[in-house]
Amino acid sequence: MLEDYYGRRVLVGRDEIVPAHVQTLPTITVQTREIICHRCGQRTPKLVAALPNNEYYCPHCINLGRVSTLCKFYHVPEPNQFTISQPVLTWRGRLSPLQVTAAQRVTAGMVAHQRQLLWAVTGAGKTEMIFQGVAACLARGERLAIASPRVDVCLELYPRLQAAFTNTEMALLHGRQSQPYRYAQLTVCTTHQLLRFYHAFDNLIIDEVDAFPYAANPVLFYASQQTSKTQGGQLFLTATPGEYLLNEVRHRRLQVTYLPLRYHGHLLPEIRCHLARHWRRQVQRGRLPTEMWRRLQTSLHQGHRFLLFVPHVADLTTVARACTRHFPATSFTTVHAQDPERLEKVQGMRDQRYSFLITTSILERGVTFPEIDVFVLGADDDIFSSAALVQIAGRAGRSASRPGGHVDFWLTARCRRVSRAMRQIRYMNQKGRCCQRELSAM
Amino acid sequence: MNCLLCNGPVAAKLTIRELIWPGRLVMPVVCPKCRQQFMPLEGEQRCPACCRLQDTSQLCPECRCWRQMYSWKLTHQALYCYNTAMKEFMHQYKFAGDYRLRAVFAAEFTAAIRQKRAEVVVPIPVTQATMATRGFNQVTGLLGGVKLTPCFQHRTLEKTAQSHKSRRERLQTPQPVALSGPAADLAGKRVLLVDDVYTTGRTLYHAADLLYQAGAANVISISLAR
Repeated sequence: MLEDYYGRRVLVGRDEIVPAHVQTLPTITVQTREIICHRCGQRTPKLVAALPNNEYYCPHCINLGRVSTLCKFYHVPEPNQFTISQPVLTWRGRLSPLQVTAAQRVTAGMVAHQRQLLWAVTGAGKTEMIFQGVAACLARGERLAIASPRVDVCLELYPRLQAAFTNTEMALLHGRQSQPYRYAQLTVCTTHQLLRFYHAFDNLIIDEVDAFPYAANPVLFYASQQTSKTQGGQLFLTATPGEYLLNEVRHRRLQVTYLPLRYHGHLLPEIRCHLARHWRRQVQRGRLPTEMWRRLQTSLHQGHRFLLFVPHVADLTTVARACTRHFPATSFTTVHAQDPERLEKVQGMRDQRYSFLITTSILERGVTFPEIDVFVLGADDDIFSSAALVQIAGRAGRSASRPGGHVDFWLTARCRRVSRAMRQIRYMNQKGRCCQRELSAM
Repeated sequence: MNCLLCNGPVAAKLTIRELIWPGRLVMPVVCPKCRQQFMPLEGEQRCPACCRLQDTSQLCPECRCWRQMYSWKLTHQALYCYNTAMKEFMHQYKFAGDYRLRAVFAAEFTAAIRQKRAEVVVPIPVTQATMATRGFNQVTGLLGGVKLTPCFQHRTLEKTAQSHKSRRERLQTPQPVALSGPAADLAGKRVLLVDDVYTTGRTLYHAADLLYQAGAANVISISLAR
């Protein structure tokens, strides 16, 4: 099927006979010391990438099928063969006035095929804001992709998009799936799957760019360049842009749209830091740092529930033991990624069965509990990137009924990642205050 | 340095001796956790002819069948049990084609082969079609620095992979290989046959048969997994 090659790079053996209308693209550039893979853009030393008989392969993107000098790519330039049935946008929701302004800017950018960043705070309603822009592009017969580094985000997005664009052909692509590839106008996929495309999309949207495991990964940015058409537009959505994106903004290579306020119009709760020099030793002796347990006690007295983040799974049990000693009458539990009861426990927290959860960074994004406080013990640990810390802080104050909430970090020493997270939140709040003033003037 | 299998970090713990006399260092390529998943075939409770795990140390029924079919005996050594971890490894190495993974067992496998002190070491070949797509012979990949005598050639350009067949189909496979080139020097030699996985023994018995026909004095075999 010729359709399968539209805007794609399909691996075939080197000696296959090329069908009519199909172009071939090279797989690997061999240099004196390194090879460069054309699919993932990664360089590998020849010694590592060598096969017998002077052949080479790329070990980086091997999970998508091995790229080697023994094969070639088939490619057909994207023809945009789509039938457009009206109405394109079948979503009937309403946006808040703040969202409307941001959505208009994003739409204008998408129509003009700009490279842009939508920097919206956690809990601002990013997905709804792109609907208008996506609809405008689909109506013009453009091919679009919405990608995210995390499969769960894709799986969650897909039905929402299907409901919003009922009349549009859509495809969902990710690594754990067995369905064959399908040519569709709107593709939802993991960023890894983007590597299979070449100059395919008129507009490419990447959600949660900073999420694990591809945070600021060079492969991701190579993929975003390769998969969009030469004149194509790109839109990155995030609450916590990393160094790379900020640098692009600074050099004016990326248009940025801010949405510094949450849907309820309040500022983000700011982080407060406290020193807890030897917290691990204290916790191992069954005691929480004094200042910390006072803080937890205040929260419990005021009837606020909270999340307590710790760096490692191994810390969970010791911290839990210390907590039982300090708060024997309170119900709480621990959650980590490999916990078989993870979903039940999170649901239990939603149902108010627990007063607090002790957790590792798995609950850093994608979960919303109303009216909670957020505490992090050992926030200076390597495991918490500044993006993760901003996300963690963003768990607090998500409901209109309690837009404040406390965010307290305990550290063994000052740490650049923590300072950067604090600075990011302060920066967004500064912008937010301007917004609030404008809104009240309206 | 990251583990070749799970991509987690591998810490190389140097001994004081290695720190003081920095000779040739062998860095681990796999983390201890991944290494543990592979089960070495050791102990008395296995078939003396094919290393199959069982309750006795007698010849297993399969090997008894083989002894009836052929007039000679083949003694096989396998280093590891073909368990889930090994299956996963073989899949990644052979079928996904990650040639780097040869380093996981190369040193150990080569040492085991050296220990056999065979005069001629013969690897089981791959077909030309496999060579064109995979780009390497998985058996020779596992052998670093052993002098090989590749005296077999496949009789056909392509074949269905043994791993896609049922047990019965495998046992009915006709002779797949033929002797070529350097076969003339085999007369009167002690020969070691090398394969990656021993499942039914069909391939190795076919190959050994040819070697005996070419005048080999004694043929033994070794594989990484069984």
